[in-house]
Amino acid sequence: MTRRQLLRHTAWFGSAVVLTVAGGEVVSHVADQPVPAAAADPTALRFVQVSDSHLGFTGPANTAVEESFGDAIAQINALPYEPAFVMHTGDLTHLSTAAQFDQVKQMMHGLRTGQVLTVPGEHDSVDDAGQKYRAAFGAGTRGDGWYSFDTRGVHFIALVNTLSLEKLGHLGTEQLDFVRQDVAGLSSDTPIVVFSHIPLFAMYPAWGWGTDDAVRALGYLRRFSSVTCLNGHVHQLFTKTEGNVTFHSATTTAYPLPQPGRAPAPTPVTLPAGKLRDALGIREVSYRAGTRALAIKDRTLT
Amino acid sequence: MRVVGILSRLGIAAGLALTGYLHADLYVHGYRGLHVIGPSFLWLAGASFALAALFVVAALLVVATAVPEPALLRLAAAALAAGALAGFALSRTVGLFGFLERGLQPAPQALLSLVAESAVLLLAGGGLWSAWRRGVAAAPTPD
Repeated sequence: MTRRQLLRHTAWFGSAVVLTVAGGEVVSHVADQPVPAAAADPTALRFVQVSDSHLGFTGPANTAVEESFGDAIAQINALPYEPAFVMHTGDLTHLSTAAQFDQVKQMMHGLRTGQVLTVPGEHDSVDDAGQKYRAAFGAGTRGDGWYSFDTRGVHFIALVNTLSLEKLGHLGTEQLDFVRQDVAGLSSDTPIVVFSHIPLFAMYPAWGWGTDDAVRALGYLRRFSSVTCLNGHVHQLFTKTEGNVTFHSATTTAYPLPQPGRAPAPTPVTLPAGKLRDALGIREVSYRAGTRALAIKDRTLT
Repeated sequence: MRVVGILSRLGIAAGLALTGYLHADLYVHGYRGLHVIGPSFLWLAGASFALAALFVVAALLVVATAVPEPALLRLAAAALAAGALAGFALSRTVGLFGFLERGLQPAPQALLSLVAESAVLLLAGGGLWSAWRRGVAAAPTPD
C-alpha cells in the first residue's frame, strides 16, 4: 500500500468513526429529552396510574412499602387537579392476605379522585385464584374481574392476565371474547386505553414479561386509530410502539426490579441509601379530545 | 456503468439511512431499556447514519473525480446489514441476549428494516463481488 492509499483509507475510516460517534450522541440526546408535559387544557381527561405497591412486602429493597404507598397517595392528592380516576395496575398486596387487602383498600379510600379502579396482579391471587381480590375490588366486574367503561369519549378496558399464567401472562378465551364483543360496536376513531398488570407486549419473555395470547386481543384493536396499553408488573418505565398501539410500562411504589437481562432473575433490587425514591413514582395521563395520543407524565416520588 | 455505480451508492446510502432511522426511533421509544439490545440499536443507528453519509460523499466523488471509495467501505456496509439481519433472525428464533420478539413486530419497523438491510446487503455485496471479479480478470496470468 502506498502512502497516498494509506492516507486515503485513514481519512475514510476516521470519518466513519467520527460520524458514528456523532450519530450515536445525537440519537442518545434525543432519547434523553423529557416527555412533553401533560396537556394544560382544563377540559382534558386526566387520570393517574399507580402500580405494584406490594403491601406486606418485607425486605431490604424497601423496608417501608406502606409508607411509600402513602407518599404516592399524598402526591396524587397534592396534584393541582382532581383526577377523573386513579387506576392501580396490580400487585396491590404482596401475599393476598385479608389484612393486606384491608389495608390497601383503606389507604386507597384516602385518594382524592372521582373513582378508584384496579386490575389484579399475580401477587393479588396467591393460593385463591383471586377470590379475596374480587371480594375487595371486584364489584361490577365480569368474569375473573375484567371490565370496560367510557369516559369523555375514551373507551377503557381493564384486563386480567395474571390468573392462568404459566410463565407468561394469559387472557383466556372467555376474556378474549369479551374484548371482541366489547369493541365491536365502537367507531374506529374511538381512543382505546387498555389496562393490564403484565405487559401485553413481549417486553422480556425470558422473565415472563409478556402475555402469550395478547396478539389476539390486540388483533381486535387493530382497526382503531389510537390504542394505548398501560401495565405494571415490571417495576420500571418502558415505552414501545407497535403500529397503532403504544405500550407504557409503569414504575412501582414499592421497590425496583432489574432491567431486562441485567440480573439472573427479576428479584427486588436494593439501591444505595437515598436512591430508592427516584425509582418509585406515579404516572399522570391526560387526553384532550381531538388529539390522537395520550400525554403521559411519569413522576418520581417526592 | 458510471450511472449504475452512482445509483448503487445512493441506494446503499438510502437503505442505511432508513435502517439507521428505524433503529434510532426504536431506541428512543423504549428499546434503550433493554440490556445489550438498547446500546446495540444506538450503535447500529450511529454507524448506519455515518456510512450513509460516506456513501453520499462516495457518489459525489465518483461524479467529480471518477475515483471509487475503498472496498472496505462496501464491506462495512454489507457487514452492518448482515449483522442486523442475523440479529433479527436470532431475536425471532433462539433469542438474542434473552430478547425475543414475534414475527414482523414491531410493525412497520421490522419489515422496513428487513427490506432496507436486504437491499444494502445486495447492493454492497454485489459491488464487492463485481470488484473482485474485475480484479481476478485483470490479474496477470502465467504464460
